[in-house]
Amino acid sequence: MKILIIEDEEGLRESIEEYFSEDGNICETAANYPAALSKISVYRYDCILLDITLPGGSGMDILKNLKANNHPDGVLILSAKNSLDDRLDGLNLGADDYLVKPFHLSELKARVSAIIRRKTFNGSNMLLFNELTIDLLAKEVKVGQSPVKLTRKEYALLLYFIANKGKVVSKNAIAEHLWGDGIDMANNFDFIYSHIKNLRKKLMEAGCNDYIQAAYGMGYKFTEQ
Amino acid sequence: MKLQARYNYVNLVTTIIVLLITGIIYYQAISWILTRQKDKDLKVEEDEIYEYVALNHHLPQTFESNDQQITFTDAKPGSVKREFINTDYYKRWDRDKGFKRRNHRSEGEYESGRGLVTSVTVGDKYYKILIVESKVETEDLIRLIFIITIGVILLLLLVLLATNRFILNRLWKPFYNIMKELRLFNIADAREIPKLETDIDEFEELNTVVLDMASKAKHDYKDLKIFTENASHELMTPIAVINSKLDTLIQTENFSERQSKLLNDLYSAVSRLNRLNQSLLLLVKIENRLLHERQQINLRELTEEMVMQFEEIFQDKGLKVTCALNDKQIYASPYLTEVLLSNLISNAIRHNYKAGEVVISLTGESLVVQNTANMAELNEEKIFARFHKSSGSEGSGLGLTISKQICENFGFSLKYSFEGMYHTFTVGF
Repeated sequence: MKILIIEDEEGLRESIEEYFSEDGNICETAANYPAALSKISVYRYDCILLDITLPGGSGMDILKNLKANNHPDGVLILSAKNSLDDRLDGLNLGADDYLVKPFHLSELKARVSAIIRRKTFNGSNMLLFNELTIDLLAKEVKVGQSPVKLTRKEYALLLYFIANKGKVVSKNAIAEHLWGDGIDMANNFDFIYSHIKNLRKKLMEAGCNDYIQAAYGMGYKFTEQ
Repeated sequence: MKLQARYNYVNLVTTIIVLLITGIIYYQAISWILTRQKDKDLKVEEDEIYEYVALNHHLPQTFESNDQQITFTDAKPGSVKREFINTDYYKRWDRDKGFKRRNHRSEGEYESGRGLVTSVTVGDKYYKILIVESKVETEDLIRLIFIITIGVILLLLLVLLATNRFILNRLWKPFYNIMKELRLFNIADAREIPKLETDIDEFEELNTVVLDMASKAKHDYKDLKIFTENASHELMTPIAVINSKLDTLIQTENFSERQSKLLNDLYSAVSRLNRLNQSLLLLVKIENRLLHERQQINLRELTEEMVMQFEEIFQDKGLKVTCALNDKQIYASPYLTEVLLSNLISNAIRHNYKAGEVVISLTGESLVVQNTANMAELNEEKIFARFHKSSGSEGSGLGLTISKQICENFGFSLKYSFEGMYHTFTVGF
């Protein structure tokens, strides 16, 4: 997939680029408003990661420009402002999602994947990964032909892993993805382990390969090897 | 002591002292004038005796009237010095005062009197003359004057007190109004202290000073809030960079156990920093009333959802959760309500011990979250203060402050109590 990263903060831009590029994706970057504007007027992207506060202009204007020209690019707004008004403004203008800084790269990846899935498959709601078939609308998982009954959190976990396949996903990122902000009262993330254990067990019992690996006690990795 | 009471006290004391002094002077003056009058009378009497003696060459008949006695006694020539004296006047009962005679065994009584001792020579005989006049009428007069004076004093005091009270209350009204406004003053409120209508310069000045002070305080507070907000926003970017770099770093693989432990610690620290920052921002927003979108919320459903959300964490700590939830609709911001519930429940989890208890009950009047904990009763005043944390708490120290602010925002109350073994937080609707 082809992604445009519009972000003025160099450190963040590089990290995002690196995280997304490894997967064989094409990433382009723009560090300011004019650069971003010239990129979007020439090329089309599967998803545009759009920072709101840019040198030389507002990300909102870029979004307006995209929509005015009926460009179909998916847009994910990255904002330092966790404000409902901004969020609503962005979504009303036609952005697909809104992510507040700071975020985990795995979260960003999961969101971008979801946007691209919605854009590209256009009505087809099946997500395939080797022997795994996931019906995104019915929220059903099958290994080959045999259905696997997952809890809500296990299902979310599986999608998260698939979106970040081949990457080490930190326990923090998983916890925040599944439990939201309220997660801070947990002294450790041991309870994540039991979720992952259950998910793995259910998948393997249905005949799926073991794709989930623990990574040095820091997180987990969903990988084919 | 109230100003009015102090004023009245001073007023009263000075008035009484001044009136007493004038009373004494008054008394002395009247007494002196009346005595002089008496002395004149006595001199007239003396002159009459002299005239009589000069004309008739013998002493006049001594007679007694109601208020005058004259006595002649023999004396050695030249031994009598002429002088006015205060003496007693023996008054015999009159016939018309018969009732008095019946009540008294004596034939009369002593009254105070004024006397003149003088002498006269009749032929070769030398006599001492004592003319005594009763001072009863004088004293009656003085008494009357005294009573009137006292009456006037009392009346004056009464009038003074009444007018003082009235005038002071009226005069000080602007002052009390300013006080009331100051008491209502809330630095975070948009409400301004109104300008006061008064003719009195001092109060007008006070009002101006108060208004200036209030607007300066508000301005400074606003600056501080803007600063907090900007600082928090500015912090977001570096936190985001650290976070993303950490996410990138763990992709590089081949970590030793020690390195992964360090990375985990870094992750937790960054996420704490992030939450702290978010909490600060949230607090600023609540105080600025920026989150005002409101709608009907079924609090029971929301609470149930929240408990579900925390299920794994309850299980992880082996907590026994008891919910007794009735239906309750509130009109509030859904986002803030979620934050409130999340804060209360996560506190109940965080400060609990393993296999402890959490009790959540919702009625029409209140939402109560109770939990067991190793701590003794907490200080209600302190726990709602910013950055107040129990030792070893991993929280931001802002959770309860935010909860309290949210409750205030919705017009709810948030109270802490220690009941039995439960730390209890009650949100009163």
